[in-house]
Amino acid sequence: MDNIEKIEKYLVKNFDQHEIFEERSNQRSISFESNNLKEVSSNQSQGFAARAIKDNQITFSSSSNYDYENFISNFKELSNYPIPIDIRFPEQKDSKNTIIYDDEILSYKNEYLIETLKKNINKILLSFPNASCDAGFSLAESNSNLRNSSKLNINSQESFISFYISSQIINGNDMLNIYKYKNSVNAINEKDIDLMVSELCKELSIAQNIVDTPKKGCPVIFTPHGLYQTLLSPLLVSFSGTNLSKNLSSLCGKEGEKLFDEKIIISDDPHIDYSPASRNYDDEGVVTKKNILINKGIFDSGLYDLKTGSESSKKSTGSAGRSVHSNPSPTTSNIVMDEGQITINNIISDIDEGILVDHLLGAGQGNELSGNFSANISLGYKIEKGEIIGRVKNTMISGNAFDALRDIEEISLERDQVYGSMMLPYLHTKNVEISS
Amino acid sequence: MNNNYENLINDVLKTGNGDYKEIRLEENKSSRITYSGKVRENISINSRLGGSVRAMANGGWGFSSFNDIYQAPQKMKETLTLAKYNSNELFEIEKNNPIRTKISPVLKKDPRKIKLSEKINILDHYKDLILSQEDIESCDIIYADTDRKVVFADSKGNNIEQNFIHVVLRIAAYSSDGNEMLQSGFSIGSLGDYGIIENLDSEILDCAKKAKDLIDAPKVEGKETTVVLDQILAGVFVHEAFGHLSEADNVYENERLKEILTLGKKFGNKDLNITDGAKIPNLRGSYEFDDEGTPATKTPLIREGILTGRLHSNETANKMSEEATGNARAISFAFPPIVRMSNTIIENGKDKKEDIIKDTKDGLYVKNWYGGMTEHEMFTFSSAETYRIENGEIKETLRPVKLSGNLFTTLKNINGIADDLLINQGGGCGKGGQMPLPVSNGSPHIRINKCLVSNG
Repeated sequence: MDNIEKIEKYLVKNFDQHEIFEERSNQRSISFESNNLKEVSSNQSQGFAARAIKDNQITFSSSSNYDYENFISNFKELSNYPIPIDIRFPEQKDSKNTIIYDDEILSYKNEYLIETLKKNINKILLSFPNASCDAGFSLAESNSNLRNSSKLNINSQESFISFYISSQIINGNDMLNIYKYKNSVNAINEKDIDLMVSELCKELSIAQNIVDTPKKGCPVIFTPHGLYQTLLSPLLVSFSGTNLSKNLSSLCGKEGEKLFDEKIIISDDPHIDYSPASRNYDDEGVVTKKNILINKGIFDSGLYDLKTGSESSKKSTGSAGRSVHSNPSPTTSNIVMDEGQITINNIISDIDEGILVDHLLGAGQGNELSGNFSANISLGYKIEKGEIIGRVKNTMISGNAFDALRDIEEISLERDQVYGSMMLPYLHTKNVEISS
Repeated sequence: MNNNYENLINDVLKTGNGDYKEIRLEENKSSRITYSGKVRENISINSRLGGSVRAMANGGWGFSSFNDIYQAPQKMKETLTLAKYNSNELFEIEKNNPIRTKISPVLKKDPRKIKLSEKINILDHYKDLILSQEDIESCDIIYADTDRKVVFADSKGNNIEQNFIHVVLRIAAYSSDGNEMLQSGFSIGSLGDYGIIENLDSEILDCAKKAKDLIDAPKVEGKETTVVLDQILAGVFVHEAFGHLSEADNVYENERLKEILTLGKKFGNKDLNITDGAKIPNLRGSYEFDDEGTPATKTPLIREGILTGRLHSNETANKMSEEATGNARAISFAFPPIVRMSNTIIENGKDKKEDIIKDTKDGLYVKNWYGGMTEHEMFTFSSAETYRIENGEIKETLRPVKLSGNLFTTLKNINGIADDLLINQGGGCGKGGQMPLPVSNGSPHIRINKCLVSNG
């Protein structure tokens, strides 16, 4: 009998319900720094966690060393201080077959990846000889097994590939840095990379021109990335079952109320093929489903795992996420915001003086539960007479996500992937403050 | 650590060729207790075992990490293959006198000897105390202690075993103005002293009162203004505003940055002195040897406003022809060492805090922290407490603010450094996906002119 079977036997004997989660992963990465290959690395990791319930009280522990004696002794000590809980580990049900694994990633050879990175850095250096570029690939494959006392037994296999490239140009005391990336389950093809690199070059040339910050109260347009960092990041905190179950979220008890502009539709969709954030079962074994968070401005639902769902008298929404060494908690899968009807070029061309916000520094470090945000605009552009004319510096943006989304101007037709787990449009709003 | 590792280490270092090879093995056990509101949310004990090997070839690195340590010799073989993809300028790892040593942990009151029940009792008491205060709606408590044993060995004959015991506690109290949740909190930490967790009643009452005071506090409008920073926030400021750019891995292969950050260049006024050093004893960023086996030092970064030093790994020191400072650190065996701060402080000045405030006509007194971030020359950091200063007096409480600045102007805008240095050990630092690394920051009260602030 291997150690994990011994542990399982101990759990069966001493508890009403139990669950074991095991994960093994292999990852390799290649990174270039300052235009040169810097490091080629690999990472192997494994570990397991157990949760067990007796008399509606739960105990959790995790380990990566598979030492039976040690694990049981920790578990016994912890079970003297269990945490109240009212859940049943789920039985196995049929799920969708969203594609979250592709063995194609194993076929990428290091030589090819290194060559691709080198080629693209050289492409940037051709136009910007004084640039200093970092770039990299990371590829991972992971296998997990989740089984519980309700006879659920799920094996899951996932793959992941990410690419990034960034370029820094220093002029005097100004350090400009522009960063592009893409994450996927199966492949990042050369066409995607070409597109990212040509966008990066285009932005580098505009951004080297530093211009005055527009006046306070000007229209503000967020890029998909800027939209996540400023408005959605604090907003999503309030949709988490963790905060809803404890009455910390300002959305508590407001299901069905119109809290946002009716142009806003946001959902959490775990069933997008080849997206790294997709999942057929959540990390407690609950079958996943698409959850609508905001429907035409109306707050529809938060995201719950078993525990926070039970504490809120709601069902799990199939949103449990976890790492080996942490308890499950509600997490997002793919956050998708519906597109609008106007192109971003048309939005920009209507603006006399405004600002396009792309990257923020220090966002998410305040009191996010309040919806407040405040950050330095690390990459933002000035719009003048319908055109992007240059980059703004030493400028801060602040506001409240709830206020900013209550009444918005426009949402763009185009959408873009953000962090490999979100599909977001450009958004134009007036209810934020710029200071410089 | 387990004696069997000695043979494993020898096998790994004998594997293959390569210009330089090293291995780290780590045993780690951490206990964590968290509360959210009335309920104890989580108690867990995690144990981890793992290792990593790193090899240099053709002027670059191969690195592999693993949980299954008996794979280590095989992983070294693979790592040597990975390293050979490099084709960079060659450099030497200079280590002349091999060290074989085993270093005992810094310990005052050992958290490993405190029963779980005792830890829970004291935290239960703090939770009840916060929640019994008027207008307090909820609280967060996060307690953790970690016992980390690491052995480092390399092909130059070094073999160094170190043991670190860390204790951290974060407490936050929540109030509400009917519209927004408001919070006040504090973080403390120590190297090897559970005693810091005890006798915190007055700090907790103070924290609850501050959360209550926020209810009627007005928001600050975004503007440029004079700010007086308390020691804790000034510590975060020096870490973000200057510390990260003193890390040589940002600089050593970037010709333009090398010019900008030439030693001898003026970055601040004559009364500004900044130091980083793991050699400063008994703090959370203290150690005898870094994760490349280099002895810790104390590095003067700024003396009388002039840039005098920077933080190095072996590689960056070699490539910049400067001395290694022992600042190559990894958060765990799973990551390669990179250049990091340890204990970073602004040294005492000659001013008195009272005089600095008295001398400020219009501005903000900002205290305590939520966080901070740096991106190249720009940085932001956020206060947990803010008060208006008017005609030299501290007035009403305001909502927390975010402060933002630029390396090249903000350090020169410091125009008041008090003589009341205090070091905060409740923070952790993130870089390159490695977070939170134990560090400490310290400073006396300082005043900065023309700092950009906005409602946090």
